[in-house]
Amino acid sequence: MAITEKTPLELGPGDTARYVERPLGVFTRPQGGRGWRDWLSTVDHKRIGILYGASAMFFFVVGGVEALLIRLQLAAPEGSVLSADVYNQVYTMHGVTMVFLFIMPLAAAFANYFIPLQIGARDVAFPRLNALSYWIWLSGAIFLNTSWIVGGGGADCGWFCYATNSGVAFSPSHGVDFYAIGLQILGIASLVSSINLIVTCLNMRAPGMTLMRMPVLTWMLLITQFLLLFALPVITVALFLLMFDRLFDAQFFNPDAGADPLLWQHLFWIFGHPEVYIIILPAFGVVSEIIPTFSRKPLFGYEFMVFSGIAIGFMGWGVWAHHMFVSGIGPISVAAFSLSTMFIAVPTGVKVLNWLATMWGGRLRFTVAMKFAVATVAMFTIGGLSGVTHSVAPADTQQTDTYYIVAHFHYVIFGGGVLGLFAGLYFWWPKVWGHFLNERLGNWNFWIMLVGFNLTFGPMHILGLQGMSRRIDTYARGYGFEFWNMAATVGSLLIAVSVVVFMWNVVKSKRDAPHLPPPGPDPWDARSLEWSIPSPVPEHNFDTVPQVHGRDDWWHNKYAENDEGTVVRVATVEEAAQTGEATGVHLPSPSFWPLAVAVGLPLIGYGLIFNLWLALIGALLTIASLYSWAMEPVDDPDATHDHHDDEATEGSSTEGDQP
Amino acid sequence: MRLPARPLGRVSGWLLSLLGAAVATGCASDAELDTFAPQGPIARELHSRGVLPVFWIAAVVLVGITVAMVWLIWRNRVKNYEGDDEWPAQTHGHVPLEVGWTVGFFVTMAAVAGIMLWSLPTVDATETNLMGVTVDDRSVEWEPTVVVVGNQWWWEFRYYFSDQVDLADLRAHGDAKTLPPADIVTSGQMVIPTGEEVELILTSRDVIHSFWIPALNGKRDAVPNRFSPWKIEASDPGFYFGQCTEFCGLSHSRMRMQVVALTPADFQSWVDDTTQDAVEPADPAALAGLEVFSGICTSCHVIEGVNDDVFESADQASGAAPNLTHLASRSTFAGGIFNLYNADGSLNRVQLEAWLRNPGDLKANYTVPGKQYRGMPDLDLSEQQIDDLVAYLAGLGNRPADWIIEATQVE
Repeated sequence: MAITEKTPLELGPGDTARYVERPLGVFTRPQGGRGWRDWLSTVDHKRIGILYGASAMFFFVVGGVEALLIRLQLAAPEGSVLSADVYNQVYTMHGVTMVFLFIMPLAAAFANYFIPLQIGARDVAFPRLNALSYWIWLSGAIFLNTSWIVGGGGADCGWFCYATNSGVAFSPSHGVDFYAIGLQILGIASLVSSINLIVTCLNMRAPGMTLMRMPVLTWMLLITQFLLLFALPVITVALFLLMFDRLFDAQFFNPDAGADPLLWQHLFWIFGHPEVYIIILPAFGVVSEIIPTFSRKPLFGYEFMVFSGIAIGFMGWGVWAHHMFVSGIGPISVAAFSLSTMFIAVPTGVKVLNWLATMWGGRLRFTVAMKFAVATVAMFTIGGLSGVTHSVAPADTQQTDTYYIVAHFHYVIFGGGVLGLFAGLYFWWPKVWGHFLNERLGNWNFWIMLVGFNLTFGPMHILGLQGMSRRIDTYARGYGFEFWNMAATVGSLLIAVSVVVFMWNVVKSKRDAPHLPPPGPDPWDARSLEWSIPSPVPEHNFDTVPQVHGRDDWWHNKYAENDEGTVVRVATVEEAAQTGEATGVHLPSPSFWPLAVAVGLPLIGYGLIFNLWLALIGALLTIASLYSWAMEPVDDPDATHDHHDDEATEGSSTEGDQP
Repeated sequence: MRLPARPLGRVSGWLLSLLGAAVATGCASDAELDTFAPQGPIARELHSRGVLPVFWIAAVVLVGITVAMVWLIWRNRVKNYEGDDEWPAQTHGHVPLEVGWTVGFFVTMAAVAGIMLWSLPTVDATETNLMGVTVDDRSVEWEPTVVVVGNQWWWEFRYYFSDQVDLADLRAHGDAKTLPPADIVTSGQMVIPTGEEVELILTSRDVIHSFWIPALNGKRDAVPNRFSPWKIEASDPGFYFGQCTEFCGLSHSRMRMQVVALTPADFQSWVDDTTQDAVEPADPAALAGLEVFSGICTSCHVIEGVNDDVFESADQASGAAPNLTHLASRSTFAGGIFNLYNADGSLNRVQLEAWLRNPGDLKANYTVPGKQYRGMPDLDLSEQQIDDLVAYLAGLGNRPADWIIEATQVE
């Protein structure tokens, strides 16, 4: 306590607040503001969302470069761009990076930024925990990637890292150690964040925002958080066993000591299959916001959309062994998991038809966001149906571990997940930044990405059915693999071009923004609460916490249906929207301690691998930071007062940061 | 928007052309691993009962959804929406429709489930089939079974005629690293009789591998410490390619295998040849090669009649290396990746010498001194030693039939 608190400054009635320098500057409680240091101490869910998003895009580039290396190696037979060893590291890290360091944090960016906005809250339930999630995630991500430099290379066991190939005897570099510890650190981040967001969704909704009035994006993100909450402990157990096996000879997965290597597979896929839905459900949510907006119709069958999402969330737990149809589990196990896998296609198919029904009779506006959203539905449908083809377990014995599977899950994860999240970026960009992304460049981005994506992964269906195995660093001439591999490599370069176009769009849009009219609070004539407040969103989100009367509450503030069932405008956006000018809204106080806690964790990781004394230092740092955090008052008595006067705002609530 | 009028029409056109090309190349004769070209009754039944029906169902659903989507876009698209202030009818949902397509998908998936249950026995059920085999002048009724052992990065095939093993035995008492002595131990190429269902018992000595001959059946993993059943059957004599399909480390891509299916008569003569010990060579170069072999290679490899009596285990993580007794009777070497013979039937001396010179150059290995080796290390052989070894190895067993050598040439 002593290091963060000082004697309260006595203020006379007419005095303004003054701040005295403290001897130890690092312990000065941060006050918030605009400089880079304030990003380190921020607890604002929007800034944290932006941090997640920006870091995710950075790792998208890292994982993308790894993907390009893979495709260059496989462009022609007997490729020699990478050695077998490096190839194995690159394809492993490509998978790990794209799953844990790109898609998940990008979805977390949407969750952090938009859940509070969509439910009418001023922040998440635990703002400092939210900061902790991000910093732990970042420290885990950096830790994982430093294995290239200090670990003797990346992990070389595949993202699935099957025992016994993950053992020290078969993977002697430290890559797998970094994998095991790095993913545990990332798991802490996701776990903390999932609890935070669940509590936010359940407890912080604005008055009248019942669960069945929540926007579908928030619903899908909520389901995702439950999946994370239950899935991460399983993989954490598995990783913990792996870590002890490798570092301390624990023998959990050593068959010579009587272990069964299939244990790892079960643990991994009990996490790994819900993980697929963790990746795809946020994109489903994004699409469910965009298609209604640009069809100018409400989402068709809201209840069915919500409950099919919940059904997917439940059934996602009962399908994991379809990754193991050929592992030698018994025929009844195979049949059972084959059946459960098939029936998860039912709620998924219902979703697809509901999106189509939303477009039915609509007046479709093909903005870039809408194009991405519709492409998401189309590409996901292909991925889903190729999934159905190998849910038939006997057929899967021909297809598993071939490029057919690579094609399948890239159609799901890239076609469904990534295209969906790009749709979200184009849709919400004006809300976050106060200017549009350029639509013309966006169209280039969309078409190049769509063509590149199909050219990359479409041919992989053919390659897989032609018998090309996965995870091979090279293939021989004469098996008929040459042409389509070259096509896939060309496609992957197109995807790279489209990502460059996106980045150029980000830069150019910002540069052009001052010369263009601002988007205003609601540029797309959209439906949910985040469009009722200015763009960019003011720090306090809502001037007054909205009173919600129904689904699509914001849309109903603008429009009503008359007796003939036609839509009539009842208020303009300017009339209905909040101005963002409220002052004196109570906001959570920033803190450096989440960052400090997070810095300790990789030190523990390096320590476990290289020197236990370092682990001790890391542990001390983490524990000391946790204590300092606990001692730090939730509300900073010295905080700037223009945002710290509850009485000043009529009807405001102080939900921001209650202990 | 300055874009073509029908965006998804273009996309689906693109997909259709991809599909057309897929059909065209999928049937190409040079796709030796093609899963759509089954060559035996098991694979054929799997293909027609399991794979094709579900592909058709998926294709119909895909076309249905895609057509609906394209139609919706074409019909409802508003090209110039700037200033457009019209709102369509605000439909919120339609419960009978929702229930309808939920039931529709359910019925579709029930059909897929039927396909699965109908085709499951094709890969899982085994029949009892016995064939007469003569081994060491003794006739035995052999239930065709091969014990298949994965190793980094090659496959071992073990044939038990005299003391036949079955899955239950091995599951109860087996240990992949100390399997009971077999009548024939070979590697890289499995020889099977045509017209017989051959049961496979799969296991591994190090990491998980997966055995897959696409023309003869799907795949099954070889898991250390476990024995898993599988089966293959070839209708006609032929040469069938395979590739390890479970990621198994450094040289996973270079772990290949082939099945040679012979008529029962040819199979019998293969058994006759292959159960013999290696013959002591007469040629001086080969004799010198034997000496090199005995001095260096025996720390890992076995040749029956040379070191099988003293051999304990190989200096490898798996504890094993390919049995070379009848090396020359196989058409590939080094984990099924190189042709042992040229197209004209002569020994592929260039490749074999290159392999002996430095195996690590041709197939990634892990041979760090002081750690367990995985893969054949560089033996630092002189050119003379290599020549002698090649002379010796070329005489180990009979050259395979011309059609086999021809089928081996992939390019």
